[in-house]
Amino acid sequence: MQYAASGVATGCAFALVATGFVAIYRVTRVVNFAQGVFAVIAGMLAYTLLGQGVPHLLAEMLAVVAAGAVGVLIGLVAIGRRGTSPLASLIITLGLGIGSYAVLILIWGDQPISYDGFKGNLDVGGVTMQLQYVLVVLLTGLAFVALGLFFDHTYLGRGLTACSSNPRAARLVGIDVTRMGLVAFGLGGGLGGLAGVLLTPMQPVSFNSDVAIAISGFAAAIFGGLLRPGTALIGGLVLGVAEALVAGYGQASLQSGVALVIMLGIMIWQAGRRSIGTGEDTA
Amino acid sequence: MSHRRLVRPWSIAVALTLVLPLVLPNALLTIYIFIGLSTMVVSGLSLLMGFAGQVSLGQAAFYAIGAYTAGLLSRDLNVPPVLGLAIAPATAAAIAYVVGLPLLRLRGHYLAFGTLAFQLITLSAIGEARDLTGGDTGLTAIPPLGIGPLIVEGPFKPIVFGYLAGGLALLTLLFNQHLVRSRPGRALRALATSEAGALAAGVPVGRYKLQVFALSAAYAGLAGGVYAFFVSYIAPGSFPLVRSIEFLIMATVGGLGSVWGSAVGATVVFLVVQVLQNLGTLPGMPLRAPAVFSYAVYAVILIGIMLGLPGGVVPAIQAMWGRRGYHVRP
Amino acid sequence: MLDVHDLVVRYGAATALDGVSLRVDRGEMVALIGPNGAGKSTLLNTICGLLKPASGTFHLDGRVAQVPEGRQLFAEMSVEDNLRLGAWTIRERDPGRAYALFPPLLELRQRIAGTLSGGEQQMVAVGRALMAQPDLLAVDELSLGLAPMVVDDLAQHLVRLNRDKGMAVLLVEQNARLALELCPRAYVLEAGRIALTGSSQELADSPAVRAAYLGAALDEVV
Repeated sequence: MQYAASGVATGCAFALVATGFVAIYRVTRVVNFAQGVFAVIAGMLAYTLLGQGVPHLLAEMLAVVAAGAVGVLIGLVAIGRRGTSPLASLIITLGLGIGSYAVLILIWGDQPISYDGFKGNLDVGGVTMQLQYVLVVLLTGLAFVALGLFFDHTYLGRGLTACSSNPRAARLVGIDVTRMGLVAFGLGGGLGGLAGVLLTPMQPVSFNSDVAIAISGFAAAIFGGLLRPGTALIGGLVLGVAEALVAGYGQASLQSGVALVIMLGIMIWQAGRRSIGTGEDTA
Repeated sequence: MSHRRLVRPWSIAVALTLVLPLVLPNALLTIYIFIGLSTMVVSGLSLLMGFAGQVSLGQAAFYAIGAYTAGLLSRDLNVPPVLGLAIAPATAAAIAYVVGLPLLRLRGHYLAFGTLAFQLITLSAIGEARDLTGGDTGLTAIPPLGIGPLIVEGPFKPIVFGYLAGGLALLTLLFNQHLVRSRPGRALRALATSEAGALAAGVPVGRYKLQVFALSAAYAGLAGGVYAFFVSYIAPGSFPLVRSIEFLIMATVGGLGSVWGSAVGATVVFLVVQVLQNLGTLPGMPLRAPAVFSYAVYAVILIGIMLGLPGGVVPAIQAMWGRRGYHVRP
Repeated sequence: MLDVHDLVVRYGAATALDGVSLRVDRGEMVALIGPNGAGKSTLLNTICGLLKPASGTFHLDGRVAQVPEGRQLFAEMSVEDNLRLGAWTIRERDPGRAYALFPPLLELRQRIAGTLSGGEQQMVAVGRALMAQPDLLAVDELSLGLAPMVVDDLAQHLVRLNRDKGMAVLLVEQNARLALELCPRAYVLEAGRIALTGSSQELADSPAVRAAYLGAALDEVV
């Protein structure tokens, strides 16, 4: 049961990363290879801020906002110039991810970093759960609700959806699709950052943790074909619990393999359902 | 101004391959060898990315597979090293065939993640199979390369490997050149521009993609085999994900699908990284400077090429000289 | 209010518009007819700012909004959302105007745009364009894929808009007969060049136009 609880918590974090992938992909058709970097940056920044004496919630919020800003920066390089193909953008985000290693090592060194989350346990219906886990689940739920409200009830949210629905018509109507793409990147950054500040107390992060985080996030995101955040949430939870169970009852070293195998399985299964040779754009 | 008659790349390449191993001092010769090995891997990757138009992040896995095959066969099964060197690419190609069947149905970013997964899973598997491969501590005491009583050891070792690496690299480039110009090559080029179009024209797209994938794996496997005999010690840590990305950068710098691009890309990137690493280890530099430098330079090069010269360096130069070479823009 | 002068637009190496000049005055309804691939959509996309000309100029005295070929709605979004998005560039987002013009849309306001019939979708497309309060309405292939009765109904809406609100309309159509009936003046675009221009009556009487676009029998021309 404890395994399931920690699995749900990490699963929520994965779901947030996944939603970041989805947000960016829907609007720009770019898969952001640097999605995991947002989590790492936010985690490390929160660590530093907390060390400087900044109070708990404030430090995390600042870290998330900073991650969002980094998102916009990455977006600028990846899609800022018209005529960058989605494949080129993908490679650029890969390059930016590697570049982040240089920055991260420079500032924070190459050792894993963690900080204390919320200590203590909570009794829920006779089951004792760590407070940190409850917090993660709550915040993730809030984030998803906020996202839903944003996309369904704000004009900007509608504009973003329009870009993903029909980029040509969006341009015709006067929407600056590139600027919307940057908004999407900022959103993706913030979501990744939120995942990071929630994850870091549970799993220490170092400069190259982004790969594992990105893989788990991507694996969750493809549950919904990179297009549906709700399904990504389910995917994240499934992944998180599966990993936790494997680590608990199986071998800890196989834990990272779970995401890889699930991801490969889903992708290949989905590819099999699509006929070869249709659709010249990426997958 | 046309340099067509003045520059004959093949003559220059052959001359360099014959002369450099004798002329270079050992330290530079080692760099030359690694560049040669990288060229082999990158030439395969460049074909794959150029023709299939996809991103592969798994070449280092095939490099590793080749290295471990050669190392294990000669150390534990007493297979003659040269035979081991021949089996290594075959093993890599066979695995590529099997893995490629499901994997190559993926496109674009899915394939990128798929090959990434393959890379990580392969490394994990090598690390887990402790009894076979020595796990994370690695495979030690790989016997030296040799034919019968002639063993490559001692002061002549770098020179022999210099000829081996350089020669094999040249051969792969030659083969690629031939392939690009052949009928299947032209069909593959059609594939790069439009898969639907190629399908409609009757090109067996799936089969060709698989074959290019296997070929690129073979190149990487062969290079890995040579690597194993050269360094005599390999571990999963010798083939990190960063190595796959390095190959990717070399391929994109040189020009996807461009035959000479692989050599130029491998050379340029390797040298730049080497220089920066040397800079980073100068006295007074902080401890982590080499890592920071290499990551930073990878990023700058990759992004710079994608934004500035997406076709790669060699095609840009070819365009300047009025020559037409084959290449693909992502 | 729309003045196009020697416009040249290229797609890479291919020239789509090769020195096109035309004019639409305020309150005018002008037709642009011609075969498939002549460059009609390219012209519209250029004046709407989606394409950059290689040379030549166009001057637009006011706002233009396009009703694109094939409707191009935001298929997963509701009718109301589609309409409101049309007003992206201006402050006023109340779709009341669109509902006033197309009363059926009011009932359909919460329906998902992709589930509507062709005619209903076309109404949404026109309504969406009108939300931008344009001075010139550029309509690309209104009749495409629609039943004649539906097309007639929509066409009458356009005529009324032009007559009552003084909205200029540039009607791009493959259905030359319809275009010439609705608009007093027309241009014929062929292979990126203006081949003919004049009043619709003149064009409808011209043998060349009759043969190429109005289905006249061959012996009539010869």
